[in-house]
Formats: sequence, structure tokens, C-alpha cells
Amino acid sequence: MQRRTFIKNSSIAAAGLIYQPSLAFKEDPLLGQGNKRYRLNTHWSKADVAKNPVNDCHEIVQDSKGRIILLTNETKNNVLMYDKAGKLLTAWGSEYPGAHGLTLFNENGTEVLFICDNNRHQVIKTTLDGRVLLTLDYPKETGEYTKAEEYVPTEIAIAPNGDIYVADGYGKDFIIRYDSKGNYISYFGGRGNEAKHLLNAHGVCVDQRNPAKPCLVVTSRQQNAFKRYTFEGVYIDTIPLPGAWVCRPVIKGAYLYAAVLQSNSNLWKQSGFVTILDKNFKVVSNLGGSEPKYADGKLDEMYQTIKYFDYPHDVCVDDEENLYIAQWNSGKVYPYKLSPVG
Amino acid sequence: MSKLFIFNTETLSAVFTNHKGKSSLIYAPIIFILMLLAGFYCEAQSPVQLAPPLLKYHSVFFKKAADVEIKFAQQGTQIQYTLNNQLPTEQSEIYTKSIHINKSFTTVKAFVSGDGFLPSEMVTATFIKDGIKIKSVQQSPANKRFQGSGATALIDNEGGLTDMNASTWLGYQEGDVEINMLLAKKQALSSVLINCLQNQGSWIFLPAQISVFYFDESKQSFELLGEQLNAPNEKISTVSCQPIIIAAAKKKKTKKIKIILKGIKNLPEWHAGKGQPGWLFIDEIKLY
Repeated sequence: MQRRTFIKNSSIAAAGLIYQPSLAFKEDPLLGQGNKRYRLNTHWSKADVAKNPVNDCHEIVQDSKGRIILLTNETKNNVLMYDKAGKLLTAWGSEYPGAHGLTLFNENGTEVLFICDNNRHQVIKTTLDGRVLLTLDYPKETGEYTKAEEYVPTEIAIAPNGDIYVADGYGKDFIIRYDSKGNYISYFGGRGNEAKHLLNAHGVCVDQRNPAKPCLVVTSRQQNAFKRYTFEGVYIDTIPLPGAWVCRPVIKGAYLYAAVLQSNSNLWKQSGFVTILDKNFKVVSNLGGSEPKYADGKLDEMYQTIKYFDYPHDVCVDDEENLYIAQWNSGKVYPYKLSPVG
Repeated sequence: MSKLFIFNTETLSAVFTNHKGKSSLIYAPIIFILMLLAGFYCEAQSPVQLAPPLLKYHSVFFKKAADVEIKFAQQGTQIQYTLNNQLPTEQSEIYTKSIHINKSFTTVKAFVSGDGFLPSEMVTATFIKDGIKIKSVQQSPANKRFQGSGATALIDNEGGLTDMNASTWLGYQEGDVEINMLLAKKQALSSVLINCLQNQGSWIFLPAQISVFYFDESKQSFELLGEQLNAPNEKISTVSCQPIIIAAAKKKKTKKIKIILKGIKNLPEWHAGKGQPGWLFIDEIKLY
């Protein structure tokens, strides 16, 4: 919160304290509906803004040691590693001006990171302390690209066999598949009028909740939808999320979580929220958003209802089911933490 | 409430204990003051604003009546609205079911409030009844990205949606827009309404110039009915539909109307696209 706002609100609260002292101890409202409700902590990060500033906070993951790893396009420190209480443990990285996508993968017992850089038009695989292991340039093998600038990767997902899927979400909306060594295999998606096509393919993840039918879940953000594909890139179906500019899908346990950058009903006016879907891809809770309602199996338009967030960009779910929300273009705020209630 | 009260006591005791090494009853009044301050701090941080409600309607243009729904699926909040052009307050009518409108130029103004939150911004929409019957219309071809709902887009009673990608908008970026309309019969005409979109962030501005002509049978020529100039001096961040009305000084009997719209040739200095041509979006024309 900006200092000026704080001072302004303080005087209102002071008056309230004199005449209505009970107000001072009013509980903060909970975010969300049903059994997915949370309490918000906007002061989770204890990082010193003078030493470790952030710009856009794009994505967050947790490693097996429990550390919360944040990726920002602030080149003073592209990667900030926290403990769950918000204490900054370490920071590294100055060579990722377009740091956008962050995915963690356990490679035969060793955890590695994949970073998508919008500005460098590259995907970079690193160790947890930032040593570069592999760099993937623009996929000219597809025949779809004539220069690096046409390729603006936003997300990476790693299949159980180690295959790498890169979403070109700000470029041509293709999903490009490589083997674990980074050898090009194939591509799918792209723009067009068919159901299999994508518009702003901002995220991709592997869904293994149904072991018999594992698949890829891909974001088609401007279409307000997720789309499912096989690992070979064959389109399966679409999960419409009317009104919601969903970012990447994040699966933890039986649920799928996604930051919603903004509401279609109120574009470019800080109208974001967070959505949670169950294992049948049914929306069960919107944090700071409208109560999900289905009529004849069709989901009603969703929208922000309470301005807790500006432009949420990613959700990380930790080992204790807490959520961490990274935000784009939201006054350079550090991530917020949400703790489950009940 | 009591739960948080206890939580505060514990938290503050803990803070105090850490500082002094141990806590005792002597510090109770100090703890109480600290608690008040903490409560004061929480309260100062807590008021969050509600987002605006959604106005849902098929079109702002109607022949007999229009129905408007206001949506806001958030427990513990209420929608309040006015239809009399007054700003809605917490004394205004509470929304419970869809609003039926049959009076032209009725404006719905609504907002949401709820305990513990700052009230939302207001949303508004004006509903407009059909006018003099127009037999046919012909307009300059729109940009191929914004073709509206086809040849009769300007007289089909469809539109008034603030979404620039709604299929009702005709969009133009180059040259003047000429619209010719033929009435079913000769009528006395007092005003012309042109519904325009204003979305400066997306380079969509109100027309720089609107000129309306009527066909004078005795002179066998088009004569000026009225004119309006709009200079884009002001930066407006909200997106809205603007029904611009050109009124005649005196009623004119006519069967043919010609409208010339000029878009902005050079976007103003303060705009990201300064010097470049702006867009002009129209979706409906009404004659009265």
C-alpha cells in the first residue's frame, strides 16, 4: 500500500476507533467460496526493497526444500528465494531482462529450473543456484519462424519422460516440443479459427491427476479458456472460463489453480482474481472474484468482485496448501500469501 | 471477533516478551494500548474497494422495451441503482430483479456496497428508443476488422456495448465516413443521434467533426441541418458509448439524410500514437 493511502485511511480509522472501537478488531474477510477459502497476507515478503527490488513478479515455484522461488524481470535480482515465512534467503540473476516463465523439474533427483525470457527470445535451463545448463533458441526447425523476434516464449512444461514443451504465448502461439536434451521434436497449436488453435498461449502444464489419461493443459488466455492436448499435441477439448484472462494452470493435489490477469468485463483496470478448479475442471472458488455458478453445465461469466489484486500473474501452492500470488504491473509489489481456512 | 482479539493479545505478548525477556501483569495496560494500535493499524490497512457490478443487456437500443440485468455474485454485498439520472447512494433502490425500461433516454446508474469494503465505482448505461423509421442506409465500407453486423448495422437497434470487439461496431481509420439514409416517407426531422465509442487507450476517439445534411426538395440539394466539432484535448481513461445528438435549429421536412463524419487525423501529443490517425467507431443512428 502506498504511504499516502495509508495516511489517508489512518485518519478514517482513528475516527472509527473513537466512536466504534469494535471496528478496530474486525476480522479480515475471507477470500473465495466453499471449502477453498483463504486469508490474505499482503506483507508476506520481508525482502528489503532497497536491496532486492522487484519489477513485474511473473512466476513462483517451490523446491523440495520448501523454498519459494520467485522470478521477476528486475535484473538486479531475477530470482529471489524465500522461506515460507517470507524471509529472503538468497537472490541471483541479472541476465534475464524478459524473465517471464519459471518451471521447476526434478531431473533424476536433481532439481533444475527452466526460465522463459521474452526479451531474449530464449528458454534457459539452470541449476537452482543459477548455473546455465542449456539454452534453447527460437525454433527455426518448425519452419514457422524467420527470426528470433517472432518467438516470445512465456512458459515451459516438462513431461514425465523429460520432454520439454515451450509455449510461445506472446509470439505465434505455438507449443514447441523438444526432448530432454533440447532436440526439436514437433510443434502444435498456433493461431486460427479451429478449436485446436490458441490465442495468447500464455501457459502450459502437465496434468497427471488421471493416471490413465495424462495430458497437457494449455492456456488460451484471450479466448478465456484452457485447452487440453495429448503429449503428441493432438487436441482433446476446451475448458471455457468465460470472462477470465487465465494465466498458466498450476496443478497441486486434486485441484488446478490459476491467476486471472483481469476480467473481460473490466479490461486493463486492475480487475484480476484467482480461480480454482476441481479435478473435473469445474470452478469451485474465485479468490476476489465472483462466486462460480453453472446453469445447465455452462459456467456463468466470471469477474473480479473485490479489488484484492491488480493483475495476478501466477499462483504457487506450497506443501502446506498456502498460495503465493505473483503480480504483473501492480506497483512492483512483492508476492502476497494466502493461507487456507477451515 | 473474539478469536482475533485473542490472537492479537498473544501476538503482542509474544513481541513484548521477546523484547524484554519476560512478560508480567504490570505490562497489561501497555499491551492493551499496543493492541489498540495494532487494531488501528489493521483497520487502516483493511478497507478494500469492491469492483464495479456488471450491466448486462442485449442492446441499449430498443423498439418497445429493454431489460437490464445487474450482476455481482459476491456474498454480503448489495447493488443499488437509479433511473432518474441522480447519482446512486446507499439510500437508492436495492437491485433485486432485472429492470424493465420502456422510456427513451433512461440511464441506469449502479454501484455495489458491502460491510467492511469501500463502495465500488459507478457503472452506467443509457437506453435509447427507436426513432423515425428509416427505410434504407448506405455507408462507406468499414475497416475489414470491424464490419459490424452488416449492411444494416447502423439501423438494426443492436449496439451500445463498450466492448470494441462486439460484433455491432463499424470501425474506420482512414478517410471521411459518408452515410446516406432514406426515410420511408417525408418527415419533420428535429435531431439526429449517432452512437460512438470512446476508448482512447485503444486509439478510438469521438469523430473530430460531424455534419448532418437534409435533402431540400425545393432546392434539390443537401442543406446543413447541424454540425459538431470535437477536439481531443482531454485525456479520458474510461471506455464509454457516447450518443452524440445533432439538433436542428428548426424542424426540417425531408426524406433523405446525409451524414459526414471525420475521424482524428493526428492523435494528440499526450497519446501513445501521437501524430497517427485515430479510429472512429459507430454502431447506430437514430432520427427524431
